[in-house]
Amino acid sequence: MKKRSRGLTLFLSGIMMVSLLSACGGNGNNAPASTDSGNTGTSNGGSEPKKDTITALLPPISANYQTRFADMEKEFNTLHPNLTLKIEPASWEDMTQKLDTQVNAGSPPDIAFIGASGISKYAALNVLIDLNGALSDEAKADYDEVPLKYFQLGDAQYGLPAYMEIHTIGGNKQFLEKAGIDWKSIQQNGWTYEEFRNAISKGVVKNDKGETTRYGFVFATSGVASKDYLAILAKTAGLPDYFDKDLKYTYTSKNFLGLLTSIREMINDGSMPKELSSIDAGKRWNMFLTGQTMITGKGLSAFENSARLNNEKIKANDGSAVADSIEVDYISLPVPTFNGADYVPTSIVDGYIALRGKKAPSEEHIKNIALATNFLSSGSIAANYSNELFLSPITESARNAEVLEKFPRNEDNVAAGKAMMAKALPARTDIPTDLAAEALKIETEVIIPKLQALLANEIAPQEMYDAVKAAAIKSFGKDGIVVD
Amino acid sequence: MNQTLTKRKKLKLESDSGWGYAFIAVALIAFSLFTAYPVINAFIISLQKYGPLGSTFVGMDNFVNSFSDELFWKALKNTLVYTLLTVPFNILLSFLISILIIPFKKKTQTIFKALYYLPAVASGVALSVVWLWIFDPLKSGIANKLVSFLGIENQNWLGSSATAMFSLVLMSWLSSHGTAIIIYIAALLAIDNSYYEAAEIDGASFLQKLWFIVVPFLKPTTLFLLVTGVIGSFQVFQNAYLMTGGGPDHATTMVGLLIFNNAFTYFEFGEAAAQSLVLAAIIGFISFLQFKFIGKDVEY
Repeated sequence: MKKRSRGLTLFLSGIMMVSLLSACGGNGNNAPASTDSGNTGTSNGGSEPKKDTITALLPPISANYQTRFADMEKEFNTLHPNLTLKIEPASWEDMTQKLDTQVNAGSPPDIAFIGASGISKYAALNVLIDLNGALSDEAKADYDEVPLKYFQLGDAQYGLPAYMEIHTIGGNKQFLEKAGIDWKSIQQNGWTYEEFRNAISKGVVKNDKGETTRYGFVFATSGVASKDYLAILAKTAGLPDYFDKDLKYTYTSKNFLGLLTSIREMINDGSMPKELSSIDAGKRWNMFLTGQTMITGKGLSAFENSARLNNEKIKANDGSAVADSIEVDYISLPVPTFNGADYVPTSIVDGYIALRGKKAPSEEHIKNIALATNFLSSGSIAANYSNELFLSPITESARNAEVLEKFPRNEDNVAAGKAMMAKALPARTDIPTDLAAEALKIETEVIIPKLQALLANEIAPQEMYDAVKAAAIKSFGKDGIVVD
Repeated sequence: MNQTLTKRKKLKLESDSGWGYAFIAVALIAFSLFTAYPVINAFIISLQKYGPLGSTFVGMDNFVNSFSDELFWKALKNTLVYTLLTVPFNILLSFLISILIIPFKKKTQTIFKALYYLPAVASGVALSVVWLWIFDPLKSGIANKLVSFLGIENQNWLGSSATAMFSLVLMSWLSSHGTAIIIYIAALLAIDNSYYEAAEIDGASFLQKLWFIVVPFLKPTTLFLLVTGVIGSFQVFQNAYLMTGGGPDHATTMVGLLIFNNAFTYFEFGEAAAQSLVLAAIIGFISFLQFKFIGKDVEY
């Protein structure tokens, strides 16, 4: 080989090698500067606080949340000149997978945004940091008690809540009134399954051929919404949690069988589509806006705004309005109660957890994480995303803060939201992580697949009940389940 | 003098070999880092209860748990059914399309090859979204509109156990033939024309030429496509994950999806690694059988 060719080839090989190895570097997207770095940076002298960087992995909580990241980082640095808040944006689709990859690689961000129901998953891996010692009493007192407890497990405070949302169902005002449904009374007093079943049957409209052109009720049950349907209805069917106060698995009680029977009845009545198992969140919202259903689920406060914006587009003849949509006044309604149980709303609390990597963080770093977590979940930051989500803030500081933009609200929906919120139960902090993990496995491997089969009319409610009971006995033993 | 020349030659040769090793080092390091190391690590993890802050050795527990898990066997069965329904049909279809394309002029062939290869360039996620739209369960869905012409009522394509697996198979039948078609066309072009001319002189029909000339000549290509098709099919993950999530009632849960769920939903990396190794062993065994029984008279 000629010397020149050798040199050139060696040079190219070197470049390839460097590119190859640089891909394995530690500062890629999956490894933001880390929790390990308790002593990151330098001290500027004896008494001055050490410099530190706190990293956060955050999804687009509200429409404009991520666009404010630069301002948030700047504001935090102004409040704490020795600290740098480094926020890594993530999409909702990527969030869980990105975080899980980082956690399992031993290099998670210091702060991540998750639903409170996910805390036990990370607690089981021992990667959560208890912020109790790092948070001042004054900071804790800022938060409403119920949402704050959602980020506790045992005595540990593993993070701070960002907002609390009640999962409801949403109705089309015009259709509800046409069906003779007193929605204002339902908003305040709730309804039973029997009343609800009767109401949704009145909402069904058929054409001359006998084909259904409008259903009474459509709930998203496919894709990411697969577990919502049953979980939301179970709350109001006497099954507020997977475990009762004696830590016995509850989905083996007769209430569960009763709920499954009701779920099947609504489809058999023709009030819900027989193809329900394939209807995802996007499809059912489209069906709601195009007048193909009177009531939809799950309902979120922000849907009122989505419907209003679409109404404005229709009025303005804007081509970006949902195709074939009609003007809809969105009415927030409580989920009906089953089996004569009390109304217990499904309260979803999302927020910020504090994480550690392979190396234990220093006390000072934990304090800094607590400062950043508190900063992100209170004050004007929380006020603005709560406002954009049509939610009431859950911290006193956020309630007192000014918001950047004000949105028109339906006062009836606001009052209904407050009435439902008042009935929210505090989180269970006594469920051990191993029980929670087993329950999650039953949910994923048995409940959701069997529910799909039940909705598709491939199995009877009793068969699904038996399958869940068998799985529960296998996981928790005969003494670990509710028998009634 | 003579001895000195030999030494020089030897040194030159050794020196050239050294350069050779230096150059393949790039590929070797890439292989070690991204193939060999993960495989060895997967084997180690399969013997552990993995945790990000430390793992514990559990011996063969993860393998035992996998083999005693009904869902693992169901996923294996689903994967096998999917493979049997997709791979042979896809190879046959690619072969027939290639036979139809080959009589055209080179330019027209290129257009067809490009058209058939297009789905391979598109993102799998984007394709899945299109297929989700096609399989819309309501009357307005494209697939339901098509079957309504046959007097069949609308189907819950992805939501019913009776049709979910078929829907995924149909999706495979109607896409992803590009690579096989290109390979088949290349192999068809390599067959010398003299064979066809001799057969024509002997009065052979089109089907006889196909059976006695084309099929034997394409046997190595078919074996290659069969082996790679089976490997790809056993590793199928994306379609089930995006289209059905493995449902309904695990009717479309493939091994790849089960491994993913164990790893990223339950954080059971040990069990996921054990199942990956079992899957690799099954794929290896099937490939061995294919080479032994189909590839014994194949000449390359």
